[in-house]
Amino acid sequence: MELATLIVVGLVIATALIFDFTNGFHDTANAMATSIATGALKPKTAVIAAGLLNLIGAFLSTEVAKTISGGIINEQEVFIAPEFIFAGLVGAIIWNLLTWLLGLPSSSSHALFGGLVGAVIIGAGVEGINFGAVATKVLIPALISPIVAGLAAFTAVKLIGLIVKKMSESDVERGFRHGQTVTACLVALSHGTNDAQKTMGIITLTLIAVGLQPSGSGPELWVVAVCGFTIALGTYMGGWRVIRTLGKGLTEISTPQGFAAESASAATILVSSHLGFALSTTQVCSGSIIGSGLGKKGSVVNWGVAARMLAAWLITFPAAGAVGAAACLLAGTGIGGTIAVAVIGVAAAAFIFALSKRNPVNAGNVNDRSDVTINASAQGA
Amino acid sequence: MILQEMADFVTVLLVTVGVSGLVASLYACGLRLWSAQDSTSNDGSCSLRRAGSIACFVACAFVVLFALWLMIPVFH
Repeated sequence: MELATLIVVGLVIATALIFDFTNGFHDTANAMATSIATGALKPKTAVIAAGLLNLIGAFLSTEVAKTISGGIINEQEVFIAPEFIFAGLVGAIIWNLLTWLLGLPSSSSHALFGGLVGAVIIGAGVEGINFGAVATKVLIPALISPIVAGLAAFTAVKLIGLIVKKMSESDVERGFRHGQTVTACLVALSHGTNDAQKTMGIITLTLIAVGLQPSGSGPELWVVAVCGFTIALGTYMGGWRVIRTLGKGLTEISTPQGFAAESASAATILVSSHLGFALSTTQVCSGSIIGSGLGKKGSVVNWGVAARMLAAWLITFPAAGAVGAAACLLAGTGIGGTIAVAVIGVAAAAFIFALSKRNPVNAGNVNDRSDVTINASAQGA
Repeated sequence: MILQEMADFVTVLLVTVGVSGLVASLYACGLRLWSAQDSTSNDGSCSLRRAGSIACFVACAFVVLFALWLMIPVFH
């Protein structure tokens, strides 16, 4: 095998693992934000639990994605070169980091698909893209997820309110704390059984494409282990900025609302995936938190934050696509261009991390405020 | 095609709302019955409430186990 190909494959595996890390990092909030906000779990305990469940989930599910893009790219007609995958991953990582900086939950899958589509359009042309699938797998789910999960959480909160009306508030808060912990763990486990498999699929399909693994074979044990540990580590590091927005920014949550939101999220994810209508975990969880806020009398939903989130969901795909396209344009010039993309990607990530240091959000201050700002001077306002 | 997708969406919506409502109601009933038996005197209805409360929590545990069964492909 040529050295250049080997370097590209190495870069694809490295970027796939970085994407896996940002995926866990970004999505800790989906399972644990409400538990952290209500105090059902201490912040560090919550991220340790979520990390472990993601690791277990990665080993439990052997159903690795058979296609990289889930049908959005015509993978049968277009050869997806490792450079395209690399460029797509760079687009997804940059978008994940940017939305994390702004404290906005956004779908890692949509970022990945967007990045890949951008790269494939540049590398192989628009005929490589199945635009019908873009609508059914990205656009429609982004609009449907919050409606389904929100309505489920709204109904659950209303029913809980009716049943526990005569109980003391402290008994209700305490009682739902345990239930909330269990439902949050279910969401974390379901994340592990789904999301680490995406990276395993990418690495396996890349190894097959360059002939390092026989066609049709499943992921090697080292791929499963590395992907599982990487997503668990990302989850453990905790995307605290997104956790703050989901736990505190959308609405003030009590434990019954947290329980209702997590139950609705788990139910929506499981029911939709088993009835062939897969919805994004991030959008489901955000929708159920809004629904739980609307369901409780006296609760206020911050619609400004909800609107920013919806805007982020809708531009995730094209924005990651634009970065993926630019990366592919540069990577297409040869091995030098590919290395240049890697260097620029690392520099951009370092810049985003440096910006986040201006107003850091961590386990110690995640519940102190409800907003996430970049400028340090805004913190004291 | 569109009709089929609409039907899928409505099915997902109804089943999700139904399951979430059921779990929330069961857990809330379990808590309500448990707290009621704490506050009442030790009569016959006390053990009935306790049994009802435990039944609700056991039903919730079954829903969780079913969710785990759905989640882990090796089981099905």
